[in-house]
Amino acid sequence: MMRRIVVVGNGIAGLTACDSLRSAGFDGELTVVGAERHHPYSRPALSKALLHGGSGSGDGGLRAHELPEPGHEATELLGVSATGLDVEARRVLLDGGDELPYDGLVIASGSRARRLTAGPGRDGAPRELTLRTIEDAVHLRERVASRPSVIVIGGGPLGMEVASGCLHMGCEVTLVSDGLPLVRQLGDYLADLFTTAAVRQGLRVVGGGKARLVDDGDRARVVLADGTVLEADLVVTAVGDEPNIGWLAGSNLLADGALRVDSRGRVRPEIVAAGDVAFFPTRLGVQRVPLWTSAIDQAKVAAVGLLKGEAAPEFNFQPYFWTEGFGLALKAVGFTPVQGAPDYCERGGEEGSELLRWSNADGSGTAAAVNFRIPIPKLRRLADADPAGAGMAAPRPAATARV
Amino acid sequence: MRIELDRPRCEGHGLCEEAAPKLMHLDDDGELVIDVAEVDGPELDAAKAAVRVCPVAALRLAAA
Repeated sequence: MMRRIVVVGNGIAGLTACDSLRSAGFDGELTVVGAERHHPYSRPALSKALLHGGSGSGDGGLRAHELPEPGHEATELLGVSATGLDVEARRVLLDGGDELPYDGLVIASGSRARRLTAGPGRDGAPRELTLRTIEDAVHLRERVASRPSVIVIGGGPLGMEVASGCLHMGCEVTLVSDGLPLVRQLGDYLADLFTTAAVRQGLRVVGGGKARLVDDGDRARVVLADGTVLEADLVVTAVGDEPNIGWLAGSNLLADGALRVDSRGRVRPEIVAAGDVAFFPTRLGVQRVPLWTSAIDQAKVAAVGLLKGEAAPEFNFQPYFWTEGFGLALKAVGFTPVQGAPDYCERGGEEGSELLRWSNADGSGTAAAVNFRIPIPKLRRLADADPAGAGMAAPRPAATARV
Repeated sequence: MRIELDRPRCEGHGLCEEAAPKLMHLDDDGELVIDVAEVDGPELDAAKAAVRVCPVAALRLAAA
């Protein structure tokens, strides 16, 4: 009988797990441990609305990340980190020395920004900024306000969103990307669309291999593997994230340094995990998918998995991804990256507005809307079925789809 | 409580509709329509869930 459930992590995965436990009928004692001092907030908004502040709804985007007060009536321990886990005794160890006993545990400790440097520079100031928390976002926004020259390292969605935000604020921006930006996440067609728009808006894109930061006085210096040297006032790195699993080191829950769950979010019968921290089975294999809707969907599954075990429904992961920048807004349903040109393209009313679909090698579909307003359920239907079946217009040959 | 929408902020992700399909939906143009704005009881929980999943905080609950 589960009377006490502890949730480690107070991001959207932890919050959703709490809500889902309550709506599944759990009325016992619920405790949430959150390393950040805030109630949960929207992380995707930090690199989008916050950096693009000044347009939109009048508050400069500064409140775009706010979520309403939670209603799950859990005991919240905010600003407290879990430092260890005793699986046999069923206790979570906290950084003040306290211990939390549990009958059920939800691991939702998230991830942190991966960094290129280990510590601060010679003057004690950080050599690289990263963007992960609300504090990071506010700090970055302050630094960017004086319009410094900026080097962004990392050609993924976060790096591109930061670059777009800095350009929007009037900075001169250089993006260091190993290969075409976004190609690893989205595939060549969409990556080309975004990169073309970015370059047109003034982004300088530089390849040259692995980047290294050199501490050299006032200006930040970046040296690439091919010898290229870049200098700017500010360096922002967006080179991926690392799961927060240090506190699980002695728990025997990790396999090859990774936390894996089954199709119901379970690590063990009394321990589930969800969100950026967890590797979970998808139809394309076991993956970690550190994205907003992935965290929400995993947490819903894990909460029920914890309460009902084998009777809980299995997770059927349906990817949903969005990004924006350089005047483009993309929403995509289905697995990415997608290969080659789309096999269906519908043009919207505005210039650059496109609704696209790819048939993937495994038989699934991926649908993407670029500057195209469409209800997401309809985008899902387009991904799931061929356009004819979804009541769409006949596909045009891809070669003539883009002009 | 009353569901309030900050329309310029809404990007049409539709996660709110998935959380509370009886209270709101995206129309054919991807614009969010609040079908039931005044909520209490069990509907209030659905409304809260909808407000919370919005990644751009376009929804709010205000005292009716």
